[in-house]
Amino acid sequence: MRRALAGLACLALFVPACGGSVSERSEITVLAAASLTAAFTKIGVNFERATPDVTVRFSFGPSDGLATQILEGAPADVFAPASPKYMDQVRSDGPGVTEQVDFARNTLAVIVPSGNPAHIESVDDLARPGVKLVLAAVGVPAGDYAREILGNAGIQKEALANVVSNEEDVKGVVQKVLLGEADAGIVYRTDITPDISAKVREIAIPDGVNVIATYPIAVIDGSSHTPAATAFIRYVAGPGQTTLRSFGFLPPS
Amino acid sequence: MGAQKRMTPGVFVVLAILGIAFVALPLAGLIQRTPWSRAADVLTSESSLTALRLSIVVATSAAVLSLVLGFPLAWGLSRSSFPGRTVVRGLVILPLVMPPVVGGVALLSVFGRRGFLGAALYDAFGVQLTFTTPAAVLAAAFVSLPLAVLALEAGLRSLDPRLEDAAATLGGSRWYVLRRVTLPLLTPQIAAGLVLCWARALGEFGATITFAGNLQGRTQTLPLAVFERLQTDPDGAIALSLLLVAVSLAVIVGLRGRFLAAR
Repeated sequence: MRRALAGLACLALFVPACGGSVSERSEITVLAAASLTAAFTKIGVNFERATPDVTVRFSFGPSDGLATQILEGAPADVFAPASPKYMDQVRSDGPGVTEQVDFARNTLAVIVPSGNPAHIESVDDLARPGVKLVLAAVGVPAGDYAREILGNAGIQKEALANVVSNEEDVKGVVQKVLLGEADAGIVYRTDITPDISAKVREIAIPDGVNVIATYPIAVIDGSSHTPAATAFIRYVAGPGQTTLRSFGFLPPS
Repeated sequence: MGAQKRMTPGVFVVLAILGIAFVALPLAGLIQRTPWSRAADVLTSESSLTALRLSIVVATSAAVLSLVLGFPLAWGLSRSSFPGRTVVRGLVILPLVMPPVVGGVALLSVFGRRGFLGAALYDAFGVQLTFTTPAAVLAAAFVSLPLAVLALEAGLRSLDPRLEDAAATLGGSRWYVLRRVTLPLLTPQIAAGLVLCWARALGEFGATITFAGNLQGRTQTLPLAVFERLQTDPDGAIALSLLLVAVSLAVIVGLRGRFLAAR
């Protein structure tokens, strides 16, 4: 609204100064993994400041759900899932992608609510009977990574028997732990944002057990704003890296 | 004069046709996109049958709970006048218009492990409602209770009080009159309330996923199963959706005396 008003004021007062930028303004839609919500929102603001003729609209959600939306023909320009698996799916079964680049990596952590009601001190404790464990659903990258970690730790069967809810995306897991309903959840380390770090406790997952999530980004074929979409990807891979680092993401390998 | 046939304005006809299309087209789209070759596999898969079974248990329990709590409420609202009656009625009907996800958050704030009743329950008995089937029932009952109250209150108001008076005059006790006169006379409204509550409970999504979570066999009812499948298998989700449409249709046909009859 404020932007629209500013645009109107701009039109009314400084038509010559605005030049053609108002009419050439393009709006791109970025479908991004839920775990990117905070970092990409910030990057979007910075990108719009640096590139005034492009507006970015984000739709954050589970990567598998976003890939399905693209396959179903949802109009989108950029895709940034939390796993290369879903980029491959869009490339092979969907419209295809270009300009693909890996831009970040992430690892996972166990979080417990403040007070740690189930006394979880290590990944192995997730196998203890009666622990109320919440994971992202199967198919959601965070859910698949979590199951892989439980397998690496050799406690998959016992821990999966403790699962009380399969959440739609990783933010659902954060929410259930934050509310104190779940005893533990497995999320990305970057999900432990400054907003919630006082309300949850992180239980580190040892390197040998943890997995590394790689985040690719690409322009979706058929985008009607390919130049703007490409500009956004270059920004994420370039100046946006500082922001990603500040939110705890690891640099791409 | 009374027999004179009124003309239907042309613009009404056009809008009415648009209205029909608005409801019929999405349903037609659902049917058109149903992968019939796979539908049988999807509907008979273990996860679908588990969700269907759970949905029936949850919806039935919620409908019965709504009726048990709703009858005394409807009685009070229709037969006694007390200060704040309007407020109580508004409060009881609120869940009907409230966004279900807000209902879920509200239920968490009371029955959650950190909610004011839930915390006491957890501290005293180590019992946690969240993530259990009873939590799914509570979520469904929360949204369907208003329908029970509305149906029963309308029924109680339309009841001829002289029938009950006559029974009382003839020496029937209050319980006898209730059991042998009031309740039998209310049978149609009780049935309608039960069916409406059941249908609303069957479709519950927002409050359930917020308050009860999503676990196959425990809290994953049919709408949650549809939503989860939609993320990875839209065709399968459509086949499951069709099952829900079929059940809803059966409810309307079952209630045709109330909704489809021209009066």
